[in-house]
Amino acid sequence: MLTADGLTKRFGAVAAVEDVSFAVEAGEIVGLLGPNGAGKTTTLRMLAGILTPDAGRATIGGLDVHAEPLEAKRRLGFLSGDTQLYQRLTPREVLRYFGELYGVGHTLEARIEALVRELDMAEFAGRPCSTLSAGQKQRANIARAFLHEPPLLILDEPTTALDVISGQFIVQAIRRARDAGRAVLFSTHIMGEAEYLCDRILLIHRGRIVDGGTLPEILARSGRGNLTDAFLHYAGA
Amino acid sequence: MRWPILRTVFVKELRETLRDRRTLLMAIGLPVLVYPLIIIGFSRIAESGESAIASRASTVAVWGALPAEVEAALGDQTRLALKPWEGAPPEVRAALEAGALTAPALRNDEERRTNDEGRRANDERVEESGPVIEAARAAITRRQVESVVVLWPGFAERLGAGDEAALTVYFDSVRRESEVARNRVTEALREYRARVIARRVAEQGLPRGFSTALDIRASNVAQAERRAGRLLGTLLPYMLLSLAVLGGLYAAIDLTAGEKERGTMQTLLCAPITASEIVVGKFLAVWTLSLISVLANLLSLSLTISRLLPADVPSLGAANYVMTALVLLPVTLTTSALFLAVSSFARSFRDGQSMVTPVYMAVALPAAVVMLPTVELDAWTAFVPIVNIALLIKGLFLREVSVDLAFLTLTSAMLYAVLTIALAVRVFHRETVLLGGKESVRGVLGLDGKPGGLPTPSLAVSFFAVVLVLQFYGSLALRDQPIPTLLLILQYGGMLLPSLLVVAAFRFDWKRTLALRMPGPTAVLLSIVIGLTAWIFAAGVVARLLPPPENLQRAMERLIRLGDDPYPLWVVWLVIGLTPGICEELLFRGVIMSGFRRMGGVAAVALTALLFGLAHASIYRLLPTATLGLVLGIVTWRTGSIVCAIIVHAVNNAFIATLAQRPEIIEWAGITAASTEIPWTFTALGSGVFLVALGLIARNFEWRMANGEWGSDERGSDERGSSDKGGGRD
Repeated sequence: MLTADGLTKRFGAVAAVEDVSFAVEAGEIVGLLGPNGAGKTTTLRMLAGILTPDAGRATIGGLDVHAEPLEAKRRLGFLSGDTQLYQRLTPREVLRYFGELYGVGHTLEARIEALVRELDMAEFAGRPCSTLSAGQKQRANIARAFLHEPPLLILDEPTTALDVISGQFIVQAIRRARDAGRAVLFSTHIMGEAEYLCDRILLIHRGRIVDGGTLPEILARSGRGNLTDAFLHYAGA
Repeated sequence: MRWPILRTVFVKELRETLRDRRTLLMAIGLPVLVYPLIIIGFSRIAESGESAIASRASTVAVWGALPAEVEAALGDQTRLALKPWEGAPPEVRAALEAGALTAPALRNDEERRTNDEGRRANDERVEESGPVIEAARAAITRRQVESVVVLWPGFAERLGAGDEAALTVYFDSVRRESEVARNRVTEALREYRARVIARRVAEQGLPRGFSTALDIRASNVAQAERRAGRLLGTLLPYMLLSLAVLGGLYAAIDLTAGEKERGTMQTLLCAPITASEIVVGKFLAVWTLSLISVLANLLSLSLTISRLLPADVPSLGAANYVMTALVLLPVTLTTSALFLAVSSFARSFRDGQSMVTPVYMAVALPAAVVMLPTVELDAWTAFVPIVNIALLIKGLFLREVSVDLAFLTLTSAMLYAVLTIALAVRVFHRETVLLGGKESVRGVLGLDGKPGGLPTPSLAVSFFAVVLVLQFYGSLALRDQPIPTLLLILQYGGMLLPSLLVVAAFRFDWKRTLALRMPGPTAVLLSIVIGLTAWIFAAGVVARLLPPPENLQRAMERLIRLGDDPYPLWVVWLVIGLTPGICEELLFRGVIMSGFRRMGGVAAVALTALLFGLAHASIYRLLPTATLGLVLGIVTWRTGSIVCAIIVHAVNNAFIATLAQRPEIIEWAGITAASTEIPWTFTALGSGVFLVALGLIARNFEWRMANGEWGSDERGSDERGSSDKGGGRD
């Protein structure tokens, strides 16, 4: 569903991401795990077509993200922890806006109502987003990312700044998406979250993928007992 | 660019903006408040100052012995408080009383008369220095009194003897209350003098007109309407411009830097929408806000004027306001795009404010020059962005605008608008700008691009604007040069050189950008025929539709003849024929048309022709030159060779110039130097040959583009469907 092939991005002399390659298949959750500044966000932004890579290519459903950006982006739902909503619009207006941009068509209103029910948003869906709590905002954001039923979800630290209960909405949404056969790629710096949620894990450090596989595979290769120790092993700390 | 998406973005941005109180306040609230406040405020301040002075008595010192009769005359003026010897230093008083000081001598009759009028005496008389004036100045400046009247020694005696008695009223023209005091004193004294003269005339038994001889009055000739226009025309453009653009300013910051600050830009960027769609949608929203602001301004202004201005100032007609609104359109386009582009670099609203404020100042401050009465719309100022529109509005209100200057102004204003919109689009295509990174000017200008590309449409228009301005100021700077020198410098220095520089700087593909390709003999032959007959079509058909004014025609003829001195034909051919052929074609059918190529053949040819027409800077030459531009565009597009266009252009120009130099060549066809129109028979024949040749070129060279020799990687042309049949003959 998603492939990264030799992705590289430099900001001036600094290589933020260097030769990153991997694939995410339909119906699996892949975690991109690494500390702050490891290159997670830059990698995801290149995959989402927000940043242009200096080298390498990314495809979504076989479509080159940079050669056919509109078609590729239509297959993608993107959500990041620091994503905000239009403060002066209501969640319903935000959903309607993105629904039109994604070309959802005549089913849009029904789809919005379904999401409002599913994510328990009825209470605040008509209030300006500036008045919502962090958890309510993130639920509205999930609705926005899932609105056009994309076969691929890219989530950049989606649980940042959320309490446990609000975080659960995300966790459940990710699981439901996987069960519906969608491909999910999400980044986190929280080891536990990766262990708990992911089918496969990619360890990223200083812009490079240092190891990737299922949790038991990574533990076996690194010879450590848990993910944190395995990561520290690769980080050379 | 997909229209439904554009509409979606526009509606959403506008909705969001209209929910922002800060933006609304700037766009609508401010104009509604400002105009009444300004006009009420100004009149209040002026009124209250005046009435305070008017209601108070003026303190006037009188130095010298005041005859009872004069004192009574001054006493008639109830608002004069006379203070004998007030503020007079003892030595001055002593000197005056002793008769040691005399009145300063008047220099000549003129001065005497002015003085006698009692009106502008002391304004004009520079009474150098002396103990009296210095003492009076001291008394007035330390506010002891507002005016000093000095009765020179012997005043009473001379007055009684029927002689001329001298007094001087000292006052300070800078102090309003001192002037009021002077006016009151001189008024009372004039009345008294009139009575004295009347008495003396009666005593001498002279006729009534003996001492007046002439009755001179002044009357202001300015019509009330023009006075209103003058008042408004100086203030209005400045106020309107600076306030109208404010409406878009906050919206621009809010929709770019504000959006980045709120963290919503990234979400938008991963939606299936292009950067151009985002920026144009935002731009339309900002522009709409500017338009709302323009309307609010004009409405508030017209209401204020009709309600608050004094009744003797007639209000301006509705047509004036409509025209002003129309004239403001290109400016709001420019400023909206400019604010959008600049604020895109900011990362937060506050950051955006500090970035856009200097830009706003740069827009608003030049507009202030319209308040100077000497600055008017002319060929120079018509090209100065912002200022030209401010001057055009001023001209509209003063009814002093020529059609050609208005056309020039609007053309250049639209060009600046296109230029700034292109800049805004370009900025939005830089991902680092949108994601809050740092960006270089070189990057935004696209100078860091990969070599071997083609110009973009926005580059073509931008480049055209730059060349046009260059040409314009060049021709003004060189206007004292002989015409051949002027033309050669403008063509090679102002068109060819920039064209080559832009291709080099952006590292475009030389061959494809400039269509450098040798044509075959058939194409060359047809080009010559077209070149020889195109003018008949242009002059015979097109010029009939819009006949140029006579002075323009004479100027054109003079230009074609290279001035008043005769030149050998080869010089004419070089300067009027070959040079524009090469320089203008490489610019227009080269750089500019290749910029439009991705838009398809019809659009590329038509847009290039339009710009070619506009470049000739007169509304009367627009149609013929744009027609010629169409012909040149078709020839280039079909043959894929700039050489054919150069041939057509050079032959066409050289032929016209030859006819202007040697009119006898063509006299057999019934065309004389005096006749301005070509006979219909000749027109029909020439146009027929022309159209056949053009048709042959259009038909037989269709394959050029389709074969990809001329831009295979471009999005297709409209003609591609029918292009397979062409075999090509050259």
